[in-house]
Amino acid sequence: MPNNLIIHLDDVYKIYFEGQESEVRALQGITLKVKKGEFIAIIGKSGSGKSTAMNLIGCLDIPSRGKAYLDNQNIANLSESSLAHLRGKKIGFIFQRFNLIPSLTAKENVGLPMLFQKLSRTTRLNKASKLLNLVGLQERADHFPAQLSGGESQRVAIARSLANDPELILADEPTGNLDTKTGEQIMDLLTALNKKEGKTIIMITHDTAQAQAAERLIKLRDGQILTDE
Amino acid sequence: MIHDYFNFAILSVRHRALRSWLTIIGIVIGVAAIMALIMVSVGLKTAIKEQFDLFGSERILISAQGFQGPGTLAAGLTKKDVETVKSIGSFKYVAPALFRQAEVRFKNEVKFTSVSGFPAKDFEEAFGDIGVDLTEGRMFRKGEKGVAVIGFRVATEMFDEDPRIKSRIKINGESFKVIGIFEEIGNSQDDNAINVPMEDARVIFKEPNAVDGIMAQAKPGADIPFLQKRVERALERARDDENFQVLTAAQILDQINTTLAVVQVVLIGIAAISLLVGGIGIMNSMYTSVVERTRDIGIMKAIGATKNDIIGIFLMESGLVGLFGGIIGVALGTGLAFLVGFIADQAGFSLLKITINWGLILFGLGFAVVIGMISGTLPAVRASRLKPVDALRYE
Repeated sequence: MPNNLIIHLDDVYKIYFEGQESEVRALQGITLKVKKGEFIAIIGKSGSGKSTAMNLIGCLDIPSRGKAYLDNQNIANLSESSLAHLRGKKIGFIFQRFNLIPSLTAKENVGLPMLFQKLSRTTRLNKASKLLNLVGLQERADHFPAQLSGGESQRVAIARSLANDPELILADEPTGNLDTKTGEQIMDLLTALNKKEGKTIIMITHDTAQAQAAERLIKLRDGQILTDE
Repeated sequence: MIHDYFNFAILSVRHRALRSWLTIIGIVIGVAAIMALIMVSVGLKTAIKEQFDLFGSERILISAQGFQGPGTLAAGLTKKDVETVKSIGSFKYVAPALFRQAEVRFKNEVKFTSVSGFPAKDFEEAFGDIGVDLTEGRMFRKGEKGVAVIGFRVATEMFDEDPRIKSRIKINGESFKVIGIFEEIGNSQDDNAINVPMEDARVIFKEPNAVDGIMAQAKPGADIPFLQKRVERALERARDDENFQVLTAAQILDQINTTLAVVQVVLIGIAAISLLVGGIGIMNSMYTSVVERTRDIGIMKAIGATKNDIIGIFLMESGLVGLFGGIIGVALGTGLAFLVGFIADQAGFSLLKITINWGLILFGLGFAVVIGMISGTLPAVRASRLKPVDALRYE
């Protein structure tokens, strides 16, 4: 397998409640190769399977059938802890609802992924400061999530996603909870990360206009890839 | 890593301050109760031991066996029994005593208190042997009559106007001159007593022959248990009955300690139940916390937390709740114990000395932490088993 692939889904199925009456075939034979440095948008209506695809790409779930590779490692062969470790190191998550930990300050939130990689406190705090600086929020470092606006929260989340220098940033509807103007700022930030830092970005969205920012557009429907261009 | 979990736990406990406090209170009550009970009972044991050290380990006490049930009337001890004990010959002195309640009048005030009659010739030596001193005046001596040595509280609290050396008090109508005042012994029985020569006591109690107790002081180095048996045998033979008991300080101490141990076990058992309830409180709170933070757990797992990280975070949190409860509980329990000591002192039992025991304090803290962690184990394991996908979807 060529080693410039960060993600490789090979004829992947995800079926919930298999064999039961309520069986849901969320993904039905998806094959997807993502090269390092790509900026991909995955679009589709709700129910198209894009969230399920995101969970598999993010190693949050394993396929029912088929194989999923992260950086050439079959995720089905990894123990739960190694998977968690790998996920923390290789993937940065950005969620629609920001998903910051409410009891931690912005800086502590940014430092959290490094804590799970067992980095020292000093290293974490230094890196967190730098990252907050990068997203333009250095003066908000000691604020709690409840004290931040939506745009600020998402910028903290982006800083957090960069904490362990991941190769892949997985953004699930990153602008879904933001107004247009703030959403554009976030998109600019993501584009810059792709262009300047060379990060691979996979963004899930239902906004066709936003998806234009990506180099590659994948449309999902009924758990299958409709177009890939 | 541990340090990071600790910080994380502190932040989380702080974030849910009110609920954390409510949970902590459960542990506080249990720990405080156990600490106070242990400290007071340790103090009590020490006090009793001191009291018996005072009594002296080389002393044998002979008393009549009291009322033994309907229809029997135990025959009391008499002067004759004193002679029997003396005839054994292994004692420094054998002193009979009479202990009775009497009416005591000073100026125009009348009180009832215990008055002891003690042989004038042995008085100084007997009290000297157990290390009790006078604050003022002197002990009575051989051949003296109409004199009294009064307890500390008789001299300081009993009457509106305090009797002093050379004051005259009337006991059951007979006049006595105060010649000595004892130092504070620490129990209200002794501190409220008045001591007079035996011959005077026989007159005021109208008891020419009876004896309430016999104190036999062994010569130094004597084999006390052996001596005790000899006294028993001699008295049995002379009296032809068994209506008396011969006790040593060690035996009495044993009896009291046994009783105390039972009381201690019961009280600590009750306190342990309250600690158990506190633990269940922590468990409940931690379960709620796990449910509330399902989403947080999902986030943490998504950004790289392993099962063990999640268990570590939640265990640290419940341990911390236990520790906070322990710190407050130990402080409160210690305060409570000192309060009991203070009240006992005010009530005349100044022998009860509460002391800070660091070992016990550490034990209390450690115990609280362990209870917290045990209570947090199940919720922590449950939290760690949440799948990141499900947890992230949780609203």
